Parts: sequence; C-alpha cells; structure tokens
Amino acid sequence: MFGIDFNVVSAIVRKDLRQYLGNPTGYVFLTLFIATTAAAAFMQEGFFARNLADLAELNKLMPAILMFFVPAVTMGAWADERRGGTDEILLTSPVRDGEVVLGKYLGVLGMFTVSLGFSVAHVAVLAYLGDPDPGLMVSTYLGYWMMGALFCAVGLVASMFTTNATVAFILGALGCAGLVFAGSEPWAAGMLGTAILGLLFALGWFVVRSGDIAGAAFAGGLGAVVGLAFWLPSLLPWLHEEGGDNRFVDAFESLAVDAHFASFGEGIVRLGDVIYFAGGASVLLYLCAFLLGRRHW
Amino acid sequence: MTETDSAARPVTIRAEKISKSYGDFAALTDVSFQVRKGTVAAFLGVNGAGKSTTMRILTGYLAPTVGRVEVLGLDPTDHVARIELARKLGYLPESGPLYRDMTPAESLQFFVDLRRLDDAAKRIDRVVERCAIGSVLHKPIHKLSKGYRQRVGMAQALLHDPEVLILDEPTSGLDPLQIRDVRALIRELGKDKTILLSTHILQEVDAVADTVVMVHDGRIVFTGTKDELAGSRGIEARFYELTGTKGAAKEVA
Repeated sequence: MFGIDFNVVSAIVRKDLRQYLGNPTGYVFLTLFIATTAAAAFMQEGFFARNLADLAELNKLMPAILMFFVPAVTMGAWADERRGGTDEILLTSPVRDGEVVLGKYLGVLGMFTVSLGFSVAHVAVLAYLGDPDPGLMVSTYLGYWMMGALFCAVGLVASMFTTNATVAFILGALGCAGLVFAGSEPWAAGMLGTAILGLLFALGWFVVRSGDIAGAAFAGGLGAVVGLAFWLPSLLPWLHEEGGDNRFVDAFESLAVDAHFASFGEGIVRLGDVIYFAGGASVLLYLCAFLLGRRHW
Repeated sequence: MTETDSAARPVTIRAEKISKSYGDFAALTDVSFQVRKGTVAAFLGVNGAGKSTTMRILTGYLAPTVGRVEVLGLDPTDHVARIELARKLGYLPESGPLYRDMTPAESLQFFVDLRRLDDAAKRIDRVVERCAIGSVLHKPIHKLSKGYRQRVGMAQALLHDPEVLILDEPTSGLDPLQIRDVRALIRELGKDKTILLSTHILQEVDAVADTVVMVHDGRIVFTGTKDELAGSRGIEARFYELTGTKGAAKEVA
C-alpha cells in the first residue's frame, strides 16, 4: 500500500518499543506521566468545587504536560540512531525511507499510547467518585491521543536535527511550546510563525541549491529575520500604535492546539480538528522523510 | 589468484570519477576504480583519506556530488536500484554499530525481519556458527568485548548470504587474536564472495587482499595487485612513498 511494506514498518516498531519498554527509563516515564496527569486532574481546587465527574482540569494542563512528556519519548528516536551509527545499517538495508520514518513514528506513538492507556485509570477514579459521561471520556481521550500524535511528529523532526538527545528534547519541547502557547500568547504565535518561515526558507534553499548547508543556514536565518520583522514591532507599543494587533500573529494563532483540542474536551469530535491534528502530523512526517533524504544531497 | 584469472572476471564494483564535497571541503576527488567478481580488494589509506565516504557511497548511504557508481550493475543512488542492491550486499560500517540494549539473538532476528528473510532460524544458526558467537548469543551487546561486537556486526552483514561484502575497517580496535580470527573469516568468505574492505593496516593487505586500491587525501594514488604495489621495495616503502609520510613509518605499520 502506497509503496510501504508494513512488515518492515512492524519490525522497526517492535524494535523501538522493545527498546523503550525494555529498560527502567521507560517505566520511569510511564510512572511520571500517570502521576503528573493524576495530579493535574484531581489535585486541584476546581475539580471538587465544580462537583462534576469530568477531566476539565486535566484538559487545561494536558497540552503543557505533553509539551514535555512527548519530546522526552521522541528525543532519542533519531538522535540515538545517528550517534550510535546504527542508522547506517538501517538505511543500507532493503527498506524505503518512508518505511523507516513510519516505523519510527509508530514506535514513539506506540509508547505514548501505552502511557495514555495506563492513564485511563483516571476514568476509573471518576467512575468511583461520580458518573462520568462515557461519550465525553472517549472524545476527551481521543483528543489527548491526537494531540500527542501531533507532538510525536514534532519531536521526531526535532530529533532529526541533532545527534544529542538532550538538544533534541529542547528543540522538541520548544516546537510543542509554540503550538501550545500560540493561541494565548502573541509572542508564541510570532515565534511559531518565525520558526516555520525560517524552516521554509532553509528547505527552499536546500532544494534549489542541492544540499548547500551553509547557504541553507543563511537562508533560514534570513527567513527568521523576515518573520521577526512581521510581528515583533507590533508587540512594542512605543514602536507601533496598534500594539498587539498583527495579521502575521493572527495567522499563526490558528495553529495553536488549544482551539482544536477544546471541542474534544466538550465531547464534540469535529472533522476540522481531526484534519488539523492528522494533517499536521502528516506534514511533519513528510518533512522527516525529506530530511532523511538529505544524506543524498 | 593470478593476474590473468582476475582480469577475466566481470566487474562487480565500479566507481567512475566520483567526487564528494561538503561545502568547500572535498572529501573525495575524481575517484575511479573497479573490483572484479570473486576478489578480495583492500581499500587502503590513512585515517581521513576518504575510505569511509567511499564505502558509504557504494552502499547507497550517501550519494556522490558528481560521478557514477555501480555495484552488481545497480546504481545505489537510484531509489529502486538501491533497494535491490541492499538485498545482495552485506555492509559492516566502521566500528560495527549495533543496538547496544539488544542481545545478538534479538539483533539478528530484527535484521531478519527487516530484510523479510525466510528460514530465519536456519539463517541465524548458520551465521552464528560461522562467526562463532554462540556463547554470547543471549548477552546484551553492550556487555560484549569489541571483538565479539565486531563478529555480531559481521553476522548481521552475512545474514542474507550477500554476493558482495563491504567491510569498513573490520579489524579496527581488535586485539591480535581477534584480528587473526576476523582475517581468517574474511579469507574464508573471499572464496565465494566479492569483498571490498577498507584498512589502514599494511599487514592486513598482505594477509587477505588480492588487489589494492589506495586512496590519499580523497584521491586514488594506486590501483593494482598487492605484488604490483610492493614492487621491488615492499608494500611499506611504497605506502610511505605514495602518501608522502616517510617519517611516520613505524607508527602506521
């Protein structure tokens, strides 16, 4: 299907899942995720004050939790392969780049799904305390999963840029932070737009000039400066009368996860929101395959 | 193998005027050579000469900036041909990278799955016996000695019984006993496979190679048999002459 051999994809997924779950670090991640989400859901004044058996309190904090948790899972996905040199064996095996990218993605998504699966215990707590709406719970968890799926793709792209897992974590968390805060903070929307513009300039140069790394870095920097020029003055009232109102910022505000996740938390699954998460992840996976192909440039 | 025998064989590996640049840095310049079927060719050069870059180009991991490569008649820079070539080619990268948290058994099973090979158990048994890793099959790879890790890497490269083997410094970092074992394995494999191995160790050339391709500063400085390389002065003297490193004689040898 689409030139993808799912036996190959499955082999990579199983290998990566075994690596995540085959050592204590994986279980530390799992425990931390469950503990953090439990604290965010129940150890809040609002939960008891509202007296409703739902996850509204967790919904407010879940984007921020995933912003750190998902990059912690994805940080080693590519960085460790490249640091250890195993990417050389992987990519000289009879496998397509698309199969490797999909396998890597489904591996980290699998680890996230396992973690999220354990957190379904929160619903059991709600059922013990009250009478949660099953439909609302399903849509809320679908929203968590889709948001995590998008962040997994962000983290995977970040992991491709470096051989250092810590740097990959920071890059991934910054990318996710842009998507989390873009809806509420104009500077975050501006930074997200700047990063996207810089990336587009750099990739454009890469394609046109067939792998000129120095030129691509310069083009990326130029794109970032152009992006900053679009929005930064609007946040400085002494430089611009319309302080805060800026089309560039408005355009990237719509990419914020909050707006697209909100409906899931209300029990509504909108096609547009599903397309946002699935489409965003697909674009980023395509970017991953593109970056993987850079070894041929 | 006599020179006449060798010349009559078809060409298995062919590099034509390949260059590879990273920005302003030229890793390879105008590199051309060929390796004939059933020969063991040593790709000789000091560290940083361009050996690993050439190996990566031949396996399709990298593409040359200019020039053309053919292995078994297939172009590794072509997406479709690269997949076909990968089924017929075994590759041991420099330092034998492996998944350190896995055991050799898990690692070999992963590569069997990745390559969609049939008769998995038989294939694994065969390479385990050939590379003598039966005693460490269920130990984590990060706990193995470098010699055993190199053998596991070799077993990975042999799983699909490839026609061509490309080995990047297969004896690097091994102790004398391990070097002896790996060289014996290469000689054994060389009976029915085409092998290109990179090395900076002159004794290795003498011990296993039929022909020699010598690279220095990203350029080919010699191609021919090891007898032709040795000439009347010996391999060592010729090596220092071709690389312009006469003063470092003892260190490299």
